Amino acid sequence: MANTETQSILVVGSGMSGLTAAVEAAEAGYDVYIVEKNPYLGGRVAQLYHYFPKLCPPYCGLEINFRRIKQNPRIRVFTMAEVEGISGDEGDFDVTVKLNPRYVNAKCTCCGKCAEACTKEIDNAFNYGMDKVKAAYLPHDMAFPMRYVLDPVLIQSEEAQKVKDACPYDAIDLDMVPKTMNLKVGSVVWATGWKPYDANKLDSYGFGQYPDVITNVMMERLAAWSGPTKGKIIRPSDGKAPETVAFVQCAGSRDENHLPFCSGVCCLASMKQATYVREQYPDAKIIIFYIDIRATDRLEDFYNKVKQDENIRFFKGKVAKITQDESGGLILRVEDTTTEELKEIPADLVVLATGMQPNTSENPLPIQVPYDDYGFVASQNARPGIYAAGCTRTPTFVSEVVQDGTAAALKAIQSIVRR
Amino acid sequence: MSVKIDPNLMKDLKAFGMKDANKCMHCGNCTAVCPLSTPENPFPRKIIKYAQMGLKDKILQSPEPWLCYYCGECSDVCPRGADPGEAMMVMRRYLTSCYDWTGFSRKFYTSERFELVAISIVAVLVGLALWIFHGANPDMEHACLNTVWPAPAIEIADIIMGTILAFLLLSNTYRCFLFVMGDLRKKIPLDIYIGQAKELLTHFLTQKSFGKCEDRTQWFVHLMIMTGYCTVFLLVVVFLAGGIHVIGLSWDKIMFQRDVIYPFFHPVRLLGYYATFAILYGTTYAMIGRLKKTKAPYKNSHATDWMFLMLLQLTTLTGILVHFGRLLDWPMITYIIYVIHMMVAIPMLVLEVPFAKWAHLAFRPVVIYLMGVKEKYYQDQKG
Repeated sequence: MANTETQSILVVGSGMSGLTAAVEAAEAGYDVYIVEKNPYLGGRVAQLYHYFPKLCPPYCGLEINFRRIKQNPRIRVFTMAEVEGISGDEGDFDVTVKLNPRYVNAKCTCCGKCAEACTKEIDNAFNYGMDKVKAAYLPHDMAFPMRYVLDPVLIQSEEAQKVKDACPYDAIDLDMVPKTMNLKVGSVVWATGWKPYDANKLDSYGFGQYPDVITNVMMERLAAWSGPTKGKIIRPSDGKAPETVAFVQCAGSRDENHLPFCSGVCCLASMKQATYVREQYPDAKIIIFYIDIRATDRLEDFYNKVKQDENIRFFKGKVAKITQDESGGLILRVEDTTTEELKEIPADLVVLATGMQPNTSENPLPIQVPYDDYGFVASQNARPGIYAAGCTRTPTFVSEVVQDGTAAALKAIQSIVRR
Repeated sequence: MSVKIDPNLMKDLKAFGMKDANKCMHCGNCTAVCPLSTPENPFPRKIIKYAQMGLKDKILQSPEPWLCYYCGECSDVCPRGADPGEAMMVMRRYLTSCYDWTGFSRKFYTSERFELVAISIVAVLVGLALWIFHGANPDMEHACLNTVWPAPAIEIADIIMGTILAFLLLSNTYRCFLFVMGDLRKKIPLDIYIGQAKELLTHFLTQKSFGKCEDRTQWFVHLMIMTGYCTVFLLVVVFLAGGIHVIGLSWDKIMFQRDVIYPFFHPVRLLGYYATFAILYGTTYAMIGRLKKTKAPYKNSHATDWMFLMLLQLTTLTGILVHFGRLLDWPMITYIIYVIHMMVAIPMLVLEVPFAKWAHLAFRPVVIYLMGVKEKYYQDQKG
């Protein structure tokens, strides 16, 4: 019979699937460790403005989960932490976790005095670098845990002491160093999720060269009230309201030279984002350039609803090139494949619907598991005692990820209990 | 209007080198990325669609394969690896065989065995002819080609061959014109055809459309092969004495292949050197490219592509040897190499000019010219 130490479950990644797996397993009576790389929980969902198809903000769902975590003593959360090694077998894994320093301890009340004292600024990763934050910062307004972070850039500078002195609660500890911690667990849920495909690799689209070419994840931040523009969708180049917004589907997806697979959510995400634009600018024209629209089951109802909007045009053809004219407007070169017409279509703002690249394609598990051709973990049962959940396994949308997290929690529990 | 569908078209095209076109998912990326594709003539996706759907007649009427210079950009960025550039190349082979009323071209393209046998037969016939018909008293002291095969005799053979080849190529080109222009050809007044004739020459000589492609090296290499070939063609056909002599216009000082050794800076010699260098440079570049598959246009090689390059390069190499044989004054070696030279060059001309790859020398500029005519006609209609 296994001992209590090996009855606990490790959940790696606290996006929607990891969070769900952790809460479900803990509420079934098992001890859970959450290891999260970011200084906050919630993963990519925390950065979304609305869900499709209901067009409601994702934060209510996250908050419910955070409350379940707070109320449950069985869950232990490690933020700014990464799993470095896993050895052993089902029921008896030894896990090495690296804890990066936050330089802020539990005494933090989020009064913001440290940020006031700090003059150094860094790119705001939460907003995909579209604005800057102080090097002493709260990751975002609703961050959980609600605690500030000090960037290493600040720690190495002379300003560090000044920032520390500004804290009235003695919450800043400049002497924190990276630490390694060992955990003994019975089973593991791997849920490190995805990252948006790097739009800089799509060289014919001019991302990075033309400021008004942005990606879909950036559009979420532009629309969000906590984003860089406080929710105003404007052209990054001149801050003006866009009159024509183009969505470029399959930007790097279904493409042998980039991501060969379909991420399955980008069509719906773009249609959802088209509603953001329509809400803010009733006269704005929207063109969605697509190869095929992939919206199945009830999501097709959403497609049909969006299609009825006269200002939203669906244009069949993959955009090949984006260029800029003298006035700074963008020109999209594309073939209308329904009529065989070659067109050059102007737009004020272009949103590239980039796909989901599995994080395991670049940072695989520290223990041998099978992957598919694209770097996703090949199956939920990655190996005995290790289960993949959510977008680590397959690209999909939030509600399915929640189901997948629950499924992985059940597998992790079975793995411990059946011996 | 009825549309005829040939369900075996894709299978048929396979013999012409079609490989991956079935992978196409019709995103339109290739057409939009192509620097030569225009709103009037968008390609290559349209042509792939015709192929997939078995629309043989549509392909036959399409000018697009000849508007493509195959820079390969479409293939580089194709998200499915459907290789649209190669599909266009296949269409040029296929159309060459469709334009050819003798049916010879089709056999040449679809059977490697036929290709080899045809070339071998012509080569042997040429060898035999040169063996049997030669001058009564060949000079064995000095390398004097004219004493073995007198220039007037070669001239006559040249004229006969030239007439037959010109007839075949021109009749095929006329069929190309009929297919591409369709009913429109009668509606367009003659003066537009004449007015645009200048374009025919410009496109033939400069291939300026190729310059619109991003990879300009290909344009340069293509120009080298074309100009090198045309220079030598000019020397052999015109300055061998041929046509000019017949109409009483020959000038001894610039005749090609006489037993006089011209000084180094003589125009005939310089032209010969240019042609030699240009063809060797172009064919070597293309052969290395095809071996290493360095660029999209070199990734797939049909048997006829190799045959074309090899015959061209062998003709040049044996030509160089003949030249040195004459300079060194080695009679027997010169004569033998000359026979080999003819056994390579003549099959290339006879088979490739009207029936295979060399035919595009006529089809491409003619179709580009016809598109200009069409555009002008529509402009006039509007105005």
